[in-house]
Amino acid sequence: MEYLVSTLTFTGITLIGVLGVYMVTGLTGLFSFGQAAFLAIGAYISAVLYKSLGLPLPLAAFVAMLVGLAAGLLVGLPTVRLRRDYISLVTFGFGEAIIAVLNNTANVTGGAMGLSGVPQRTSFSLVLASVIACVAVVISYKNSKYGRQCLALRNDELAAKSMGINVERLKLVTFLIAGVMTSFAGVLYVFYTTYVEPGAFGWVISAEWMIIVFVGGVNSLTGAVVATVLLTGLPEFLRFASEWRIAIYCIIVLLILNFRPSGIFGEHEISLDFLRRLFRKGARTA
Amino acid sequence: MSSLEAKGLSKAFGGVKAIDNFSFEVGGHDIVGIIGPNGAGKTTVFNLLTGIYSLDTGQVFLDGKELTGLPQHAITRAGIGRTFQNIRLFRGLSVLENVMTAADPYSDYNLLDVCFFTSRKRRREHAVRDLSRHYLKIVGLEGYEKERPESLPYGLQRKLELARALATNPKVLLLDEPAAGLNPSEVRAFIDLVRAIHDQFQFSIIIIEHRLEVVMELSSKIFVLNFGKLLASGTPAEIVCNKAVTEAYLGQEET
Repeated sequence: MEYLVSTLTFTGITLIGVLGVYMVTGLTGLFSFGQAAFLAIGAYISAVLYKSLGLPLPLAAFVAMLVGLAAGLLVGLPTVRLRRDYISLVTFGFGEAIIAVLNNTANVTGGAMGLSGVPQRTSFSLVLASVIACVAVVISYKNSKYGRQCLALRNDELAAKSMGINVERLKLVTFLIAGVMTSFAGVLYVFYTTYVEPGAFGWVISAEWMIIVFVGGVNSLTGAVVATVLLTGLPEFLRFASEWRIAIYCIIVLLILNFRPSGIFGEHEISLDFLRRLFRKGARTA
Repeated sequence: MSSLEAKGLSKAFGGVKAIDNFSFEVGGHDIVGIIGPNGAGKTTVFNLLTGIYSLDTGQVFLDGKELTGLPQHAITRAGIGRTFQNIRLFRGLSVLENVMTAADPYSDYNLLDVCFFTSRKRRREHAVRDLSRHYLKIVGLEGYEKERPESLPYGLQRKLELARALATNPKVLLLDEPAAGLNPSEVRAFIDLVRAIHDQFQFSIIIIEHRLEVVMELSSKIFVLNFGKLLASGTPAEIVCNKAVTEAYLGQEET
């Protein structure tokens, strides 16, 4: 039981990170290979503030998110003008740079040894509530002018500009929200595991989140949520296969991307409207 | 009173002078045509006016306000709307959402409204939705709101481009070959549609078109471009009789 709850808690924290990637990559079409760095920022800043400076947890979390915002501005401001492929390079560099900083400031962060002795303050219910809140915000964002404009610019940037959309600002705004959200996930993470090390935030994690978004369907929030549950849960359930589980994981991802190139859900969402139509269709055939 | 004024527009790509010292004016409520042989630089003029290309020299004024050098989105918001020759609709969005994105920049709610699901967001979204439906109705796309733009027949995609341009709330509307690929009866209907829209809204229209019948019938004034230079300008009747224009289109008569 305890094992199930911890798996679910990690899945929830991952989901918040994936939501950030969904906004940046799925909605806006920018490849951020440094998204996990925001997780590191959230985790380290809040843990250090709490442990070394004795700040109350909510304040530490808030400051951590602010630092995430500032880091997002630092990377985002110069990069939003770049072409998409260069954005992925810059974010990749940013992510690795953050890890290098963490490794080389051993007196504060513990360096490669990691930071331990953080009290466990995150509970499953807190993570669940956070996930619900974040999903709600992303749904609202997607169904607002921001979400529509993100999809428009992902599709045709030149036409989007000609419709009066401030493309650069919109990219920045989306990138910042995703950054703050992921920083928040970092806070949840460190106060759950009680221990962090720089290696846990490399580009591999960012890439994994991106794989999740693509498997779920680039344009589908429902897909992102379902794929997170499947793909973070999957390695755990495949534990019996020991060393084969990564291989099995890769094969499943390959199969999905090969036979459903637009992801499990493509651009469909499970919304009330969708369920209603499905129900009606079912009633008609029955 | 002239609404759009372009002074001495020039643009070179490498050694080729795509547009060479082209000036023109459009009044507050006119329809003006730009014609010319292939490669004369017609679309380049639109791309210069809307800020897609930067001007080498020249200035653009809208109602006396200078637009030269502004970023694309600012030029659109200042009042220059356009359609594209090669249809550029947003594929991930529905027909209605395509129009909404063009009206969205004028929708004044912010991120806090999004995060806290305020009633202001809901009201503004409603308003934009209703307005966009209205534009779809004007161009005759009622009932297609939920369709995907790429699933519409070609002629309707052209109409959707038009509806989307209307939603940017233009003072001057630039139509880039809006009748390309339409059959003769569709062209007829399109001419009537453009005229109806022009009567209904207080904006000027600039049309680039290969089909001379469209330009001749709609425009009160025509500018003829050839190799990036202004060859002639005048009323449709004057252009038809202009010798330089017929030569540019048909070649010189042998003597």
